[in-house]
Amino acid sequence: MTLRERGNRIARVGTVVTALALLGLAGVYVRAIVYTPVEAAQGAAQKIFYVHVPSAWAGLMAFVITGLLSILYLWLKDRRLDLAAAASAEVGVAFSAIILTTGPIWGKPIWGTWWTWDARLTSTLFLFLLFVGYIVLRGVLTDPGIRGRFSAVIGIMALFLVPFIHLTVYLFRTLHPAPIVLKPSRPSLPGDMLTTLMLSVGVFTVLYTGLLMLRYALGLLREAREEELADAS
Amino acid sequence: MGSTLRAAWHIAVKDLAIEWRTKTAFASGLVFAVLVLAVLFFSRDPTTVSATDIAPGAMWVTFTFASMLGLNRAFLIERELRALDGILLTPAPRAAIYWGKFVANLAFVGAIEAISLPLFVLFYDVPIWRRLGELILVIAMATIAFVAVGTLLSAMVVRTRYAELMLPLLLLPFLVPPLVAGVQATAPLLDGRPLSDVSGWLKLIAGFDVAFVTLAALLFEVVLDE
Amino acid sequence: MPPENTGFMVAAYVIVAVIVVGYAVSLLLRIREQRRR
Repeated sequence: MTLRERGNRIARVGTVVTALALLGLAGVYVRAIVYTPVEAAQGAAQKIFYVHVPSAWAGLMAFVITGLLSILYLWLKDRRLDLAAAASAEVGVAFSAIILTTGPIWGKPIWGTWWTWDARLTSTLFLFLLFVGYIVLRGVLTDPGIRGRFSAVIGIMALFLVPFIHLTVYLFRTLHPAPIVLKPSRPSLPGDMLTTLMLSVGVFTVLYTGLLMLRYALGLLREAREEELADAS
Repeated sequence: MGSTLRAAWHIAVKDLAIEWRTKTAFASGLVFAVLVLAVLFFSRDPTTVSATDIAPGAMWVTFTFASMLGLNRAFLIERELRALDGILLTPAPRAAIYWGKFVANLAFVGAIEAISLPLFVLFYDVPIWRRLGELILVIAMATIAFVAVGTLLSAMVVRTRYAELMLPLLLLPFLVPPLVAGVQATAPLLDGRPLSDVSGWLKLIAGFDVAFVTLAALLFEVVLDE
Repeated sequence: MPPENTGFMVAAYVIVAVIVVGYAVSLLLRIREQRRR
């Protein structure tokens, strides 16, 4: 199968998966808004939880997968691994944008401030910035071999950075605890809410997969185009 | 092992010798450090914010940015002279190139920090003498972190057109743990507290150093392969 | 009586939809561009 054929096929499958995920998302919306009870202490804003947490899960998954694929690429040198890593990185950036916007919108009514330097938001912020840099770097490197190797280096280092940022924030928090306005109840979620959350996590996982396939297909098609241009000249 | 050390040493000495002859990067780094210290001092309301309050942050921001200037220079020299090709032709083991650059960068950044520190004490009037040794330890550990990652990244961005922009963009997220730890450890030390008070932060920087020096050394080969 | 903050919820849900659909559409458009000769 040529690169172009494979790209087209994955694009088709990816479109279907993404469409299904979007339908699922609509379903989650309905379930969260209409069929899930409102939390007494926090009000309707608590329901942001049902899109914020699954996005965090998807974003983390995206960046971890980029890191793992980067290691595999350096080991096996298959260019498709590089294309897949880059695809996961870009999808991760999209989910990070969701986390970084819904986080403050949730934070304002619940914690009293738009931004709190907690572990998840802070890690997401720096990972977001780092992977924007990753995408910019890929943009300025023209040789595919160099681009692949250098991206892989960033991807792998990012993997190791995450625990350190978490540790930094944890230490910072224990020394400078933030004033809490409303403490969101974390440990036990009543059945309905847990189900909605789990459904949402499932939908976001499918969404990640669909978007990943589409972005990967784009990478394959671009490479196919470059090959065709090179052959023609 | 012996040949790696010797090759690394030669590379480090060569880099520092080149730098010593021109002294441009060193001089600019120093001037930059002084300017940052001064600007940060004046960019506050002295009636509400005391110099001692912003001192740790000012010191670390200065060190960080001066380091980045120095790191960029290190590989620019190579690019201008296409000298890296020459080094790659020698039988020197690849790892030696990283260690050589690492040591040279460490010396360069260390020199800038050594000269900035008295200036910092002068401008901000901080009682540094009580915990000078401990402070130097924290600065040294964090600098190792900056230089370990910075050496690797500067080797990568030097071949791009936007090296001066790409280096800070990619490097700063990695500097967050050692930088925050450095600032948070400095404040109690300037207050006269013992090192044991900041042991948590020290352990964080130490762990970071071990992890990233190793990682950078291993990944450097990937960056050099032609 | 739970606090009145439905506005925040709506804002967040709208933003998520915009980002998700927007990104998906951008990918499809970029793919279509690659298919053109």
